Amino acid sequence: MLFFFRDDPRVSAVQRGAIDGVAFATSLVLAPLDAWDRLSNVFQSRSSLQEEVRRLQQENRVLKGQSQRLASLLSENARYKALLNSARDIGDDLIAAQITSLSPDPARHIVMLDKGVNDGVAEGQPVLGAEGLIGQVTFSGNRNSRAVLITDSAHALPVQVNRSGLRAIAEGSGSIDRLVIRHLPATTDIRVGDLLVTSGLGGRFPHGYPVARVTEVIVLEGDAFATVFAAPSSLLDRGRYVLVVMWGDLQREATL
Amino acid sequence: MERRQALWVIYVSLGVALMTMLLPLPMEWRILRPDFVALALFYWVLALPHRVGVATAFGVGIAQDLIEGAPLGISCFGLMLATLVLLFSYQRVRQFDGLQQSLVMLALMMLSSGIEGWMRTGVDVPTLPLMGLLGFAISMLCWIPTRHMCRQLRRHYEVV
Repeated sequence: MLFFFRDDPRVSAVQRGAIDGVAFATSLVLAPLDAWDRLSNVFQSRSSLQEEVRRLQQENRVLKGQSQRLASLLSENARYKALLNSARDIGDDLIAAQITSLSPDPARHIVMLDKGVNDGVAEGQPVLGAEGLIGQVTFSGNRNSRAVLITDSAHALPVQVNRSGLRAIAEGSGSIDRLVIRHLPATTDIRVGDLLVTSGLGGRFPHGYPVARVTEVIVLEGDAFATVFAAPSSLLDRGRYVLVVMWGDLQREATL
Repeated sequence: MERRQALWVIYVSLGVALMTMLLPLPMEWRILRPDFVALALFYWVLALPHRVGVATAFGVGIAQDLIEGAPLGISCFGLMLATLVLLFSYQRVRQFDGLQQSLVMLALMMLSSGIEGWMRTGVDVPTLPLMGLLGFAISMLCWIPTRHMCRQLRRHYEVV
């Protein structure tokens, strides 16, 4: 029965409602661990904190330096775009979120985020890690949401080789450090080390976020197609802090 | 006057089994997580077939899907069928010793997740890789401790 009604809005309403419940149960299960974390934070030594502050200040200085150039580049880019009469990129709003848990289903790469509809997270919004795109929101409850990672074997996204502008589809492989691009002509110009960025085609992901770096290009003699493997730029199984891009229908229409 | 049945013990233990699904594990290790939900369910079917049956299996399946974020109801049918098989044969399985029962549980778990795998293929949801077999083996080893714990609970609260 449920099998046939799996796309019914009432069924997904139940699933959405359950997200907050599941997140709450998870927080109950994790409470002892959290308490331990907090306790060890309290007792963290002064010197290690100072060390961290110094490191962060350094990093901040570097980032500030880079962003100085970014501002001028952005305005320059805007002028060029105006010259070309093309649609302007709209600066994306970001929401900081935390990954609270992994789905227990070992066949999938689904994570729970601690931000939901109340914070402006909606289904379909891209999720960024520290170094690049990591996934997209699939279900959002009121205070929590679920996101599927780009390496999930049911996930595929349109990408572009940064160097040559070649477009392709990067599929998740089911293993956490690998994406696959199939059906590229064997003569395609793609090399190990190429950066793949989101191409913005399909309208799901905004253009230009780094996704992965090519690690292996396999061309078999006499085969018409090459198989390309790439490693996601962000370490998907490290780090808890992610950014959800407020990329709603409004922005999509503006860029299309 | 008849003593009130402590049926809540059954549901609480199933709830705790569901909670074990939420324990954090590294991404690549999730596959080794023992399936305490199925084991607890099968224990109660085996011990109290007049209390726990296909309907409970359905409820457990729904809860499991909600926790996993899988399409709703995808693990129900497998669990229900495995429960049905156990309901037909519980008298025989009760006579088995620990190892034999573990093997029966292994078969039941493989039956239920095999059917779940079919359903998943039907709706294009990724299925378990081959390593999943290792998970079944670990679940099988957990049958005897699970049985022991649930039995203690059942005796202590006199659930019948």
